[in-house]
Amino acid sequence: MAVTNQALSSGYPLLNYRIDRQISRGGFSIVYRAFDETGSPVAIKEYLPSSLVLRTEGDIVRASSAENLTSFRYGMKCFFEEGRALAKINHPNVVRVLNFFRANETVYMVMRYERGRTLQQQIQMRQDQMSERFVRHVFMQLLNGLREVHTHKILHLDIKPANIYLRTDGSPVLLDFGAARQTLTTNRPKLAPMYTPGFAAPEQYRDHDRLGPWTDVYGTGASMFACLAAFAPQAADARLSEDHLVSAKKIWSGQYSDNLLEVIDWCLRLDPLERPQSVFALQRAIRDIAPNKRKLTFLGNLKRLLFSEIGA
Amino acid sequence: MRFTIFQESRKGAREVNQDRIAYTYSRETLLLVVADGMGGHLGGEIAAQIAVRLFIERFQQEAKPILRNPLKFMQETLLRAHAALGSYASQFSMLETPRTTCVAVVVQGNHAYWAHVGDSRFYLLRQGKLIGATKDHSKVQYLVDQGIIAPQDVATHPDRNKIFSCLGGAAEPVIDLSKRTPLQNGDILILCTDGLWSAYPLGEMSTMLTSTPILTTAPQIMREAEQRAGPEGDNLSAIIVRWGPETLADQPSTTTDMMELGQFETQLEHTVTLADRAGIQRDLTDDEIERAIAEIQSTIQKYRK
Repeated sequence: MAVTNQALSSGYPLLNYRIDRQISRGGFSIVYRAFDETGSPVAIKEYLPSSLVLRTEGDIVRASSAENLTSFRYGMKCFFEEGRALAKINHPNVVRVLNFFRANETVYMVMRYERGRTLQQQIQMRQDQMSERFVRHVFMQLLNGLREVHTHKILHLDIKPANIYLRTDGSPVLLDFGAARQTLTTNRPKLAPMYTPGFAAPEQYRDHDRLGPWTDVYGTGASMFACLAAFAPQAADARLSEDHLVSAKKIWSGQYSDNLLEVIDWCLRLDPLERPQSVFALQRAIRDIAPNKRKLTFLGNLKRLLFSEIGA
Repeated sequence: MRFTIFQESRKGAREVNQDRIAYTYSRETLLLVVADGMGGHLGGEIAAQIAVRLFIERFQQEAKPILRNPLKFMQETLLRAHAALGSYASQFSMLETPRTTCVAVVVQGNHAYWAHVGDSRFYLLRQGKLIGATKDHSKVQYLVDQGIIAPQDVATHPDRNKIFSCLGGAAEPVIDLSKRTPLQNGDILILCTDGLWSAYPLGEMSTMLTSTPILTTAPQIMREAEQRAGPEGDNLSAIIVRWGPETLADQPSTTTDMMELGQFETQLEHTVTLADRAGIQRDLTDDEIERAIAEIQSTIQKYRK
């Protein structure tokens, strides 16, 4: 029988916040909307790994066994990593942490509440091709945020449309630093890897010594690819044994500028050294792209038609 | 207090970095610590980390807001670290007690105090002249003192790594304590491990740091030293402080005047636990949880616009 953790109920007072409702639930946490004492909304992330702890009623979190308590506390370290990583960053395109505290035998991270939807939802909802203008606009800003993250010697390591939030004004916010590690200078052992197939770079599967800014560049390229395709590129581990990924340049030639497609393909190179080596390099490459003013050609339309027939 | 501070630890050509460095300060007192762990498998890293963390923890307990007796504080902390390493080894049934060198400096009331065990060094420079330094607890230093070898031969002597005092060793550590030494604005304080001092001569370091802003020069020195040490190079670490305002460049210096009583700022790089390395899952203690939260909260405050 599957037992799920009970979320805190609406109106629950948590420190000086009041829980409103659950926004999302993942394997390691529940995110709530809540209000602070001034009545402003905040997002509160509760550390609650579903496989380890039980809260069938009330508010106190209890590990489901003594053995799980150890793992529960250990996982808490990763939650702290996320808090540490985000606390240092104050940038419009990166989710802002406002507070971090302990209660109910677990820990909570309070973040600025943003209105909008994830890029993932945007991709799933859309009717037409995403415009080049939109893709460039979103990713240029997002890369400003990512650059700030890298400046603090932190890698995000889980860049994907579900972790990119679009505010109602269209500006993107980078979310979920659950996989983030401060790896740019330290040589400390990497903790257990977390990755999302399709968006994770090949070095995240096996070559942890080679993680670097280029790893987030791969995730960014894969996210841009997903904006165009509405699906993720082939998973990198599968690509390593048999690469079936068709280049963006081939698929969408004529529909998007060659330069944008070339940049996407560049980001998705399997060899980390062959990708843009920094966010700045990537931004420069994107900035060089002339806006796509080209009308769709007959050939371009045909290709597009063929591609959708192939059933991608 | 006003000062400019740089700290960096580099792996050199080694697989792991067994050096640990940290600093922490209250409004009135600054503590700098460098430790160079020894021994294979994880032991060295753990040892250096325990020593450094113990310094930081005890400082935050005792510096309220100043240390009553800085030299006694350092001596006691070193002895406690030595004892802690022994009990750590028995707790985890380690065959060999983790060992480490340690050098610590306290600056308080415009005076510097320092203490050390082993061959990690402290140098105090004033206008390019060395006015204070530690003396290694090493075999080669003994040979120099006896006039058997020349000081410049230390860095290349085959026995240069042999030290006779360390924390975690079989014998009680030999601890050297400095005098209370007044500081002047512009004085440069350098704490470093042998990886740096053996690869980069003091004279050169002194010239570089005296004439240029430390936040520009110090990273260059570290890189250069790592290159010079080559494929056999040891871990190298340094904390470098210019006391007083930075006058050589428009670079940020740290001022503690606005700090609240009881507030601490801490920089501690690298953390590794047995659990991380050996896959043993060790419980976070309540204390560690509280500390992690406090650290995150202080970072949030610090980066709040």
